[in-house]
Amino acid sequence: MTFSLNLAFSDLLLLLPEIFLTCWLCVVLIVDFSFPRVPQERLAYLSVAGLVVTLGCLAWLDMNHVSGTLFGNMFVLDRMAIFFKIVILGATILVILASIEYVNRFTLFRGEYYCLVVMSALGMMFMVSANDLLSVFVSLEFATLGFYVLVSYLRDDLASNEGGLKFFILGVLAAGLLAYGISLVYGETGKLVFSDMASAQPTPGLIIGFLLIFAALGFKVGAVPFHSWIPDTYHGAPTPVTTFLSIAPKAAAFAILLRIFLVALGTFKPLWVVLLVAVSILSMTYANIVAIAQRNIKRLLAYSGIAQVGNVLIGLAAGTKMGNDAILFYLLAYLFANIGAFAVVIAVSQAIGTDEIEDYRGLSRRSPFLAFAMLLFLLSLAGVPPLAGFIGKLYIFVAAIKEGLYTLIVVGLINIVISMYYYLIVVKQMYINEPIDPSPIAISGPMKTVIYVGLAGTLVIGIYPQPFTDWVVSATLMFANFVGPSVTIIPPGASLGG
Amino acid sequence: MGEYALLYILFAPFAGALALIFISNRQPLLVRSVAASAAFVSLLASLYLFYAYDPVKGGFQFVQKYEWSKQLGISLHLGVDGIGTPLVLASSILLFAGIFVSWHIKDRAKEFYIWLLILAAATIGVFMSLDLFFLYFFYEMSVIPMYLLLGMWGSHTKKYLEMNDSEGLKLRDSVGFILNFGSNSKEYAAMKLVLFLSTFAVAALMGILLIYKFSGLNTFDILVLREQANLMNIPVLGTTLDKIIWVLVFFGFASIAPLWPLHSWSPVGHAAAPAATSMLHAGVLMKLGHFSIIRVAFEILPETTREMMPIAAVLCMFSIVYGGFVAFYAKDTKYVIGYSSSSHMGYVFLGMAALNYISLSGAVIYMFAHAMATGMLFAMAGWVYDQTHTRDIPSLGGLSNKMPFISVCFVIGCMASIGMPGTVNFIAEIMIIVGSWDKYPLQVIVAMLGIVLTLAYLFKMMRGLFYGPMNQKYSHAHDAISAVDRLPLLIMISISIGFGIFPMHLYDVVRSGVDPLVARITRVVPVAQTYEGSGVRSEVIIPGTTSTVPVVASKLLPLPSQVSRGEGE
Repeated sequence: MTFSLNLAFSDLLLLLPEIFLTCWLCVVLIVDFSFPRVPQERLAYLSVAGLVVTLGCLAWLDMNHVSGTLFGNMFVLDRMAIFFKIVILGATILVILASIEYVNRFTLFRGEYYCLVVMSALGMMFMVSANDLLSVFVSLEFATLGFYVLVSYLRDDLASNEGGLKFFILGVLAAGLLAYGISLVYGETGKLVFSDMASAQPTPGLIIGFLLIFAALGFKVGAVPFHSWIPDTYHGAPTPVTTFLSIAPKAAAFAILLRIFLVALGTFKPLWVVLLVAVSILSMTYANIVAIAQRNIKRLLAYSGIAQVGNVLIGLAAGTKMGNDAILFYLLAYLFANIGAFAVVIAVSQAIGTDEIEDYRGLSRRSPFLAFAMLLFLLSLAGVPPLAGFIGKLYIFVAAIKEGLYTLIVVGLINIVISMYYYLIVVKQMYINEPIDPSPIAISGPMKTVIYVGLAGTLVIGIYPQPFTDWVVSATLMFANFVGPSVTIIPPGASLGG
Repeated sequence: MGEYALLYILFAPFAGALALIFISNRQPLLVRSVAASAAFVSLLASLYLFYAYDPVKGGFQFVQKYEWSKQLGISLHLGVDGIGTPLVLASSILLFAGIFVSWHIKDRAKEFYIWLLILAAATIGVFMSLDLFFLYFFYEMSVIPMYLLLGMWGSHTKKYLEMNDSEGLKLRDSVGFILNFGSNSKEYAAMKLVLFLSTFAVAALMGILLIYKFSGLNTFDILVLREQANLMNIPVLGTTLDKIIWVLVFFGFASIAPLWPLHSWSPVGHAAAPAATSMLHAGVLMKLGHFSIIRVAFEILPETTREMMPIAAVLCMFSIVYGGFVAFYAKDTKYVIGYSSSSHMGYVFLGMAALNYISLSGAVIYMFAHAMATGMLFAMAGWVYDQTHTRDIPSLGGLSNKMPFISVCFVIGCMASIGMPGTVNFIAEIMIIVGSWDKYPLQVIVAMLGIVLTLAYLFKMMRGLFYGPMNQKYSHAHDAISAVDRLPLLIMISISIGFGIFPMHLYDVVRSGVDPLVARITRVVPVAQTYEGSGVRSEVIIPGTTSTVPVVASKLLPLPSQVSRGEGE
């Protein structure tokens, strides 16, 4: 099914998930205003219901292979966009479920919390569909707006306010860089839509423009020279918000990066490979080394997230279709492991009130389930078989080695070992050390659901990845046109193994 | 069961671990019996496998292949040849014995059995993988359970840095000291083990990825790669690619073996681990290294192996002598056995380095034999530790009064470890020595010295533990009386002596795996002979013209690598 540029009523089908979610957001907001006595759990479930319907709608669009562009190529709905939307909505649902208990800590505006979360999700859905630089800017700022509020939601907590302020100042700086970059690119090429830029010449202005755009997106994903806001913001923000922040905006920003690098800049590959290799090496090495020194689990996971971004950038540096598949797959694996790990952090902090790694002493005696779940999530993040993270890392390495990025792979492999050290430090606290206070830890129902979903995802993807690899391969089919074939030459008569 | 035997062996422990998750720790008997029955299924299936394996047919048998990831070219490809079969058997015997050895664990028994089963299943998985990806998958999977087993149920290694010789002078394990940072805790031992093994494992992974890329076949399947991958004569960094891959793979896997300069994680790990874990660790986990080298380096890079294997011949001397001397001076029972294991693994490397039918078969049989012998010794060291709560040899003594059964078994274990005629170790040792003599006489002399050393330190330990005056502090110690406690020792002793007296089937099976491999590497067709003068010779055919593997036989292609291959030695 393709659609014309003139906006017909049927064209709105492409926007159906967004339109529905916007309406639902208003419903939630109105319910919150009109019935102030409705407990916040109800609002949470109401939002989840809307998100689930949106998810179903997306699945329907995906199954019927609906795709097309709207508004003069500003908005695109292809299978990759649908993949990212599903990831973002899945993350949003899990984050809302993980928040239900935590929200009671907020003194005011409990209902609005869910509205803001859904609003950010909506913004990110537009981000992954952005097909030109203007819609990138608008949707990115729209998505970030909600986060500015969410990060400082703990009004009386200094760390939360500090985190919010840092996030805001650096976020606005990033927005400025992005706007400036866009203006330079537009000035050089006269084009805004990605696919029109493919024939552009690499003039200095254009290169600077794209570097600025890359810097702005680097802020969003938290790659190393642009990572400085991450530890403080992750530390200060309410933990469910940290969870959300650590997954959804990263995924959305990677969708934009994929479109920019592979569609708009596909012809400049020799130039940007160097940039990506450098950023990737820096991200992995710096984050993994600094993570060793962390005493707070949220900061540890913040640095681990930076390192994971470095891993994803390996796939981007490969710059092939297989690299994209690997990125999508990796993000899927990362989604489950990271949400799960943060859910355990929330559950533990609800029970014992702190996020220090010291306080995880003897968790396996206090709650064998939480400790076991955390063990699997951390090992998946570290990349240990048979968990999802291992397959994700291997997929990325295979994609990269086909492009001959040996240095990057060696650094990536060494970093697996470094990261194993600090993940195992947490495991040591949980399993080897004896608890000071051996009282058991209770877990609420929704939280259990989140952790079970995380465990299921981590194990199923790790043990039987075929359906997921099929999904990501079909999701990035449109890149096959832009990306050249892999340099690997297959000898004749040796078409074994697919 | 028949053709699915490998699946039973591999997945029975996993299924047992899964079932244990749903059983409460408040039912200790149920927990143990679930673990034991999972191990028993695995043991039965691997006994079946061992005797159903047809050495006359040779090649990979019981092959199972399931597509796992089309995009990455991975399939769950399982199969055993004459090298894998005895090692699978050894793993399941040690798992079964290990469950009974740890029968009295009280603290979090359920978790203990879960991790033990996963550890054993992962090692079994390596021995039957015919896909590089799954080989690495199971290899790396076996490391994490070690961390938890050491950390949660292990014990501190107090006396590590304080080994005195007979005049009371302090001695130190130099390499261990450099990498030790002075810590003797079990947490340290566990972390060192994981980081050490993971570091070298990723080196091996890099080698595997390079094989994957430069073969250009988009597959990790060992059988396809060994026939069709042409990795020779690609110049890289002033040398050739195959050498780089070989070094990565060899040292990556040799770390777990443990070859001499890479051994320092191993004795610390042995000493910190609980008895059953030490058994699996020394018995089969260390063999993952040799096995993976054989499977990856020998199969895929035969010419490079012929060229580079002298490295192993040099290093194995250090392994044998160094391990032996440290074991002689160590005062901690588990240190003695741990260093003796790392010394004995030097023989395996010697047998592998000589690249000869006799010596390589000897090396494989030695792996099997050593698994039994060292399993016994660790089980009994664990028993003595449980009874006396010390592993310090000078403070023990005269325990044979209290535990006659254990001391008799210990004598047998020592005899087996030394290689007394009548035990399967003897056959293995003699084969390694005879087979390597032509090529490496110096190493063989060193290996002889190693046997003398083994005799010295094992007798010293035996005397220290069981004979001489008894320390009255340990008068409460008692013998292994119940059937549950005796069973594991009796199993291992009977296997060790049984195969020592009737080695024919084991020998035939091993030869059927070794012969085509050595033929590939040296391209000399031998006249294989079993003790009865019959057996496998008809199956040894020049590789390249036909394959012992039916799976890929239809897709064989003549490749330049086979043309360029040198004509023997």
